[in-house]
Amino acid sequence: MSGFRLDQGGRIDRSQPVSFSFDGVTYQGYAGDTLASALLANGVMLLGRSFKYHRPRGLLGAGSEEPNALVSVTRGPGRFTPNLRATSVELHEGLSATSQNRWPSLKTDFGAINDRLGMFLPAGFYNKTFMWPRSFWDRLYEPAIRRMAGLGEAPTEIDPDHYGATYAHCDLLIVGAGPAGIDAALEASGTSKRVVLLDEQDEAGGGALSDPALWKWLEESLKDLAAAPNITILRRTTAFGYYHDNFVGAVERLTDHLPHPADGAREKLWRIRADEVVLAQGAIERPLVFAGNDVPGVMLASAARTLLQRYGVAVGRSVALMAAHDSGWRDIFALARAGVGVAAIIDLRESVDAALLGEAQVLGIAVELGHSVIDVHGRLAVKGVTIARNDGAGAALLACDALLMAGGWTPSVHLWSHSKGSLAWRDDLGAYVPDQPNEAVRCVGACSGKWSFGSGLVTDSLPTPRDQSRIKAFVDFQNDVTAKDIRLAVREGFKSIEHIKRYTTTGMATDQGKTSNLNGLQIAAQALGRPVVDIGLTSFRPPYTPQSFGALAGHAQGALFQPTRKTGIDSWAEENGAVFELVAQWRRARYFPQGGEGMLAAVNRECRAVRSSVGIFDASTLGKIEVVGPDAAEFLNRMYTNPWKALEPGRCRYGLLLKEDGFITDDGVSARLAADRFHLTTTTGGAARVLNTMEDYLQTEWPDLDVWLTSTTEQWAVIALQGPMARKLLAPLVEGIDLSADAFPHMAIREGTICGVPTRLFRVSFTGELGFEINVPAAYGRALWERLIADGAAYGITPYGTEAMHVLRAEKGFIIVGQDTDGTVTPYDAGLDWAVGKKKPDFVGKRSLSRSDIVAPGRKQLVGLLTDDPTVVLEEGAQIVADPAQAVPMTMIGHVTSAYWSEALGRSIALALVAGGQQRIGEVLYVPMPDRVISARISGTVFYDPEGARLHV
Amino acid sequence: MRRQPPQWRIEMLLIHCPYCDEARAEIEFAYAGEAHIVRPPDPSLMSDEEWQRYLFIRSNPRGRHHERWRHIHGCGRFFNAVRDTATDKFEATYKAGEPRR
Amino acid sequence: MSEALVRTDPVSGLDFVSEGVRLSLAGPMARFSLRARQPEVLEQLLGFKLPRQIGAIQAGAACLGPDEWLLRAPAGTKLSLGSGLPVAITEVSERSVCLIVEGPRAAEVLAAGCPLDLDRFTAGRATRTVFETVEIVLLRTGDNRFEVEVWRSFAPWFRTALETAAGQLR
Ligand SMILES: [Zn+2]
Repeated sequence: MSGFRLDQGGRIDRSQPVSFSFDGVTYQGYAGDTLASALLANGVMLLGRSFKYHRPRGLLGAGSEEPNALVSVTRGPGRFTPNLRATSVELHEGLSATSQNRWPSLKTDFGAINDRLGMFLPAGFYNKTFMWPRSFWDRLYEPAIRRMAGLGEAPTEIDPDHYGATYAHCDLLIVGAGPAGIDAALEASGTSKRVVLLDEQDEAGGGALSDPALWKWLEESLKDLAAAPNITILRRTTAFGYYHDNFVGAVERLTDHLPHPADGAREKLWRIRADEVVLAQGAIERPLVFAGNDVPGVMLASAARTLLQRYGVAVGRSVALMAAHDSGWRDIFALARAGVGVAAIIDLRESVDAALLGEAQVLGIAVELGHSVIDVHGRLAVKGVTIARNDGAGAALLACDALLMAGGWTPSVHLWSHSKGSLAWRDDLGAYVPDQPNEAVRCVGACSGKWSFGSGLVTDSLPTPRDQSRIKAFVDFQNDVTAKDIRLAVREGFKSIEHIKRYTTTGMATDQGKTSNLNGLQIAAQALGRPVVDIGLTSFRPPYTPQSFGALAGHAQGALFQPTRKTGIDSWAEENGAVFELVAQWRRARYFPQGGEGMLAAVNRECRAVRSSVGIFDASTLGKIEVVGPDAAEFLNRMYTNPWKALEPGRCRYGLLLKEDGFITDDGVSARLAADRFHLTTTTGGAARVLNTMEDYLQTEWPDLDVWLTSTTEQWAVIALQGPMARKLLAPLVEGIDLSADAFPHMAIREGTICGVPTRLFRVSFTGELGFEINVPAAYGRALWERLIADGAAYGITPYGTEAMHVLRAEKGFIIVGQDTDGTVTPYDAGLDWAVGKKKPDFVGKRSLSRSDIVAPGRKQLVGLLTDDPTVVLEEGAQIVADPAQAVPMTMIGHVTSAYWSEALGRSIALALVAGGQQRIGEVLYVPMPDRVISARISGTVFYDPEGARLHV
Repeated sequence: MRRQPPQWRIEMLLIHCPYCDEARAEIEFAYAGEAHIVRPPDPSLMSDEEWQRYLFIRSNPRGRHHERWRHIHGCGRFFNAVRDTATDKFEATYKAGEPRR
Repeated sequence: MSEALVRTDPVSGLDFVSEGVRLSLAGPMARFSLRARQPEVLEQLLGFKLPRQIGAIQAGAACLGPDEWLLRAPAGTKLSLGSGLPVAITEVSERSVCLIVEGPRAAEVLAAGCPLDLDRFTAGRATRTVFETVEIVLLRTGDNRFEVEVWRSFAPWFRTALETAAGQLR
């Protein structure tokens, strides 16, 4: 037990004690504490186990850069969040946190065996070791690695929280509310600029929060900002990514810090577009690299200062400092002045500023210049250190219970780098600083390399008389990468930092190398004997700190996950027990089971009704486009494969749409309403794509045509009435249209009224029966449907779904684009030669139909397939072979595209794409399945009523 | 086409529509391939090789690229753009039918 | 003929009220898509002027594109279809429904999913845009009042999204 709470000081509220638990033990802290500061105040130094070696770890930092102290927080069922940094978890009453990466307990961890095997787990160990034999991978290596790998545990339940999202626009976005960010905001206050100032912490102030001398300034500045109407301050908000054109993604944490959150979003995604961005992200202190630099109690000097000044917590009773930079001296002076015992200041440098030495003397602190720590004693906590002169001589033991590291500072250039701003190397800082911007952005304060922390000596790792290859001096604490791993990578031939990074995994953990990148870079440069700038710099990628999936999804969860489009008749289907399926974004009734029917029974009943009497089907999802203008017919003539100019008003035509490559992309029946007006239909899933393609041709290839396209998909509800009784049912309801076979033949359209509302009545059939598709303004769809159901009771009217629709159309050999075609099927392949206007000089895709590959024999062609055993229904997607006895892998000559039980035929039917299929009619082919081989005979594609007698009645 | 995966993306670019004369968020736009590839007036006159070039061959440069976008959830117009494929920065956008920039 | 068919709306006609914002469903109206290269031809046919600038609203017509207007008029309005003229007039009265979002925090609710800078989208403007992935036509009919045209199949999702966003205002 080393850390403790001081009697005074800090910004915590000592009048508000807070109880919380860590690994099941209850502790007390204060309002304003973080989990980290409260644990340290209770003397808890051991906060986690490392990723690879399971080494005991304590705090390294005091902010979001913390790599070690990752904890899981439970906020009740389903509300489990792993991998939170204890330094960023605000304390609240009842907070329940657990440590990670240990079993069975934090103090006694089985995985720590890895630490003792450490010499066998060098960089690249996984790549080298688990290569052979191959069969061991599935059974042994992968399961073992999986058990050991990963940070924390994934939650197992659905997240019951909800999340908000918003867009925001501002003239000036300031990231970071430290002194530099606040100054930038003050400068803009009172102007007409819309300013957003955001900060990841619960309190604005950044580094000023750790410096009581600035508190008065901070308080007054925040008061001024709060009073400025043009400034919005977002606290607990992390800018996690900086994207093109000053688009910054940020997450605001709304409720996790509250003991009893009210209803409301847990987090909110801010999508901010700014005219100008000011980055004031500050700088992060750099650890020093030496043996034992990861023992709990070894931490950044700045973190110790923050714990002291902000939380009133001393990190130890006898604290030593290992410095290469002036700033650490000021930190430990602050500790000394607060009454914390200081063991010594050890500085790598042979000389330092006389003022520092003078102050050390005044405070009675022993100083060892030109020395380095060469070992740290203690396993679960620091017990002392061994120091030696930089030449290796004079090793001496120094008792202490905490060791601070002051290795200099690294500007936080993460967001700057996301925005693709260039960086310049500064030898004096041993760091990259922002150079040329790529967006309207500037860096201010410490993240631009400007600070008043004093100066220091840049070092890759501390000198040591010990064998460098036998010590663990950590560079990347979260991924457990040591200096010797990086040197090994260089010895093994890696020369680029990008490769060294991937081989050693340094900088690849969830902390994005905030504390490790520059140490790793300098060690690699040293080992390569080249300047740092020559070996490159790895990219920073979003997110700056890990964010929850919930926040990134925003409100796109549950009912709002993705729009489910519903027709006006959908509610009737739901009330009547329909089973639904999703088709594109649409929810469609698949079948209407009655009295416990399964799908097959329901579909058979629905098909029987259509063939024997009348069925009713909601076809509202069909894409519809109104094509209007003097050149409408000319335009369609160019788009579709068949001729359109001679189509008379009042008549319909099946249209086949190709891409320029000659392959079928959509189809549908369309009607000519007037000389200059067509009502097109498309497939349900193809509606938007077809409209876009047509607009493309119209706007860019044929802008001279006077014709315009309007999507009318949602203007009309479409009810298909199919079956021999359809006309009888319809006739009494329709006014102004003669329904007789002569006056209203198949493939015609009439306009009139039905039940008093206007209708576009199509006489068309996708079932092979007498059929009508009744278009009425969408608001009347449900009422008309119910009227037809009521009036149709006399005929046994039966609602049918998409499954029966599929069966009925397959019995007639009608294709479904996207099911029986796959983007490589021409009209000839599909047996739709009749739909190609061969005399037309041109249409979209025509030229491709004479390409050599398209006219070559042996293309896959659509055919029917009748199994020898009529009760066997083939599987859609099943492969077809000519000779089932051939050796595996067999030569596959096609596949099944559609397969159903046909109630009308009393047997199974299938459609298939088969190489040279149209020449193979009558041949027997084979469908090998895992348990058997099914034989089937190739047939034509029309299985039912091939003469079409049932249509023309 | 039966099921579509959810469409989700962070829309980042700000694109100036030459018709609306306004910079709007990328999510309102659809990319539409390389620009200034004109459909031959009479494809039947083209050799297989010429037609193949028209159909399939695109320039795919690193750097300055002429491409088409559509302000599909805005004014609906297709237009041309010059964008640097390495930096994603738009150099210019201009109306369909205007000469190549 | 028995009784006439009744209309069905895709979303509730009841208002939703939350802190600083009210959502309601506009009543039925006539809607037409008007297209022409030369607006004068349409104007002569219709007998009123059309706005020329994309994004402007005038006499119930919103200019959505260089050759496109959305005309919203009282329910039952009929237009001559301009047969033979280089124009296209298509009735789309029932294609969309109109949700009204009004109140001092109306813009905040819409900003939840609309990428437009609504501070600069002033009263009297209209545009096609999106709310998350759903296309809408947004009309600002007052400082604190927006009318949103959304295709009817998307309306339930859209209304839920707006109510969720309104409920999350703090
Ligand atoms: Zn536009």
